[in-house]
Amino acid sequence: MRQIYICTDTVTGLCSALHDAWKENRDNDAGIEIRGKTQQQLFCEYRTVAECEQKALRLERMIKRHMGYNTYWDIYHALLADDGEKGTAVFKTMQASRDIRDSHKIMDHLSHPDVAKVFALSRSVSNEAHMYEEFIRFRELENGILFSEITPKAQVLTCVADHFADRFPLENWMIYDRTHQVFLVHRAREEWGLVWGETLDHEAAGKVSDKEREYERLWRGFFESISIKERENPRCQQNHLPLRYRPHMTEMTQTCIKPEIRL
Amino acid sequence: MKDKMQSEMPLYEKLNILSDAAKYDVSCTSSGVDRQNDGTGIGNCRKAGICHSFSADGRCISLLKILFTNECIYDCKYCINRSSNDVVRASFTPDEVCDLTMEFYRRNYIEGLFLSSGILKSPDYTMELIYATLYKLRRERNFQGYIHVKAIPGADQRLIQMTGYLADRMSVNMELPTAESLRLLAPHKSRKNILTPMRFVQEKSKENRQEITLYRNVPRFVPAGQSTQMIVGATPETDYQILHVTESLYKKFGLKRVFFSAFVPVNEDKALPSIRDQGPPLLREHRLYQADWLLRFYHFEADELLDEENPNFNVLLDPKCCWALKHLDVFPVEINRADYRTLLRVPGIGYKSAGRIVKARRMGTLRFEDLKKMGVVLKRALYFITCEGKTMYPVRLDEDYITRNLLNTKERLPEGVDGMTYRQISLFDDVNFGSGTVVF
Repeated sequence: MRQIYICTDTVTGLCSALHDAWKENRDNDAGIEIRGKTQQQLFCEYRTVAECEQKALRLERMIKRHMGYNTYWDIYHALLADDGEKGTAVFKTMQASRDIRDSHKIMDHLSHPDVAKVFALSRSVSNEAHMYEEFIRFRELENGILFSEITPKAQVLTCVADHFADRFPLENWMIYDRTHQVFLVHRAREEWGLVWGETLDHEAAGKVSDKEREYERLWRGFFESISIKERENPRCQQNHLPLRYRPHMTEMTQTCIKPEIRL
Repeated sequence: MKDKMQSEMPLYEKLNILSDAAKYDVSCTSSGVDRQNDGTGIGNCRKAGICHSFSADGRCISLLKILFTNECIYDCKYCINRSSNDVVRASFTPDEVCDLTMEFYRRNYIEGLFLSSGILKSPDYTMELIYATLYKLRRERNFQGYIHVKAIPGADQRLIQMTGYLADRMSVNMELPTAESLRLLAPHKSRKNILTPMRFVQEKSKENRQEITLYRNVPRFVPAGQSTQMIVGATPETDYQILHVTESLYKKFGLKRVFFSAFVPVNEDKALPSIRDQGPPLLREHRLYQADWLLRFYHFEADELLDEENPNFNVLLDPKCCWALKHLDVFPVEINRADYRTLLRVPGIGYKSAGRIVKARRMGTLRFEDLKKMGVVLKRALYFITCEGKTMYPVRLDEDYITRNLLNTKERLPEGVDGMTYRQISLFDDVNFGSGTVVF
């Protein structure tokens, strides 16, 4: 019987599942699936994983020690992806790393299908995170907080957090991931943190400061005047700045308050 | 200098005029320096640079690209701000530039400031104003993001030096590739005037690098290096000449980047070519950039890509493909054995995928499917590579045949792949007998 571990779509959940799978089935075929996205198969045994921080930390330590920090980086990014197979791919990559002489170099083994999958996922997540580092637009609310809203495919908040925390250490800022309903909150001079299970107060998020309107107008004007008319090339623009990022970008929308996008 | 009308001009209008005047400056990169925030100000820098938006012409917007003023005493023929043009003139104050930069930066609109300027009164006077702005931004507002600033040719070296300690990147524009063209189109600038500050910045940063190895906390002088730009298509230089100038700038002046800007006719002048109906030579600019990449990352030399007999790039094929077609004797290359430098020369393999191939083949033999996943562009590479001694499809290593297939812009499998080497001719087919070869 093939054992399949069911967990939630969070890093803690997936790492706990990987932890259990590694503990019990490291030499056998096993799978990891996400609750709500499983497809029942024959000849499989399903079990829900008890998720806890300790398991996740233990797994993180193990991966870092035996497979190196760079591999951990790839695996962590792959686990944030929007993909049902990610857990299984990571598990099989961990198994494959035992078959090569230097397990730290497992991510170079791209002719292995599961390693290639983890590599592809990690690349797509880190690319999306990089796009958000570029395209996130903050607006200043009445109380001076910088607020931004995004709709990413992967759970990129933790990937962009360090960048913005380093960039704006003296600001209070907040990014809301509408797809996964998570807030990334940073208080001035403090560490950032994630907040789950809160809802967005649309009224408060819509009250922008007076200066904000003026700077948005200036930015839109700048955006218009910086383009050379003789060279206009909308396809090139769209290659670099895909349409799905645009609804939350100041220069691509005309109103001060962003339009509601219902999922 | 500040008459009443100007000091009362609203900021919105000023920004429009002075960003519109700066838009012909190409360089908008924010790369070359890694700097963390020290916890007391705003901003940091990333080595790779970050683009924040893309304007309607598809160019990236990374920095707040503005002129300090468009009042200029020079009369360069190609420039919209030349003194003989009748355009609305405006100037920022240092405080306005600081406010704009800080507020845009906070909202993650930009990565930093790109400050250029027309020549107000004299080069020294202009450079002083630029220095004052940068000083305010760095020391008073504690801005730690990216700053790219123009060194004004002819300004005092001490001013350039002091500004260099505040900026990340400095650039002096070459404007035109040869001294004769410069004399013709920019009568107030001279080759010597442009190269002197460039050499000065190069020597200063060399000195600074030595100081840094001795004393860790010494201030950085232009840490992201210097760049320059040339106008393409305003004068009759060939691509070969331009590429040669580029190469020697990289080698002799240690530049980080050379930018090309397709000539956009903004003025009517008898010294300028009239290309109004053709539009700017964008494709030529694109080919030059491709060649520039080959020089910087792919170990190519200018003489390998072009020569006196073929002084211009092929319009239809990129420079790397052209080179490969001329040197079919080195192909096909065996993916599992060829060294890194040889892999770099294969069309369709970039430096990233070449690196991945070299690492991955230590773990096991590579097949064409694996290459695809690594990011190799197989529709170009397949004619030039083998995996375990086999080509992907039965292809011929023949210049005409490969050219014909590479020219099919849509991805199409080579003829005869499915084992059928003949086909039924119909009356409406455009078979192109005999005309399929392209003459180089």
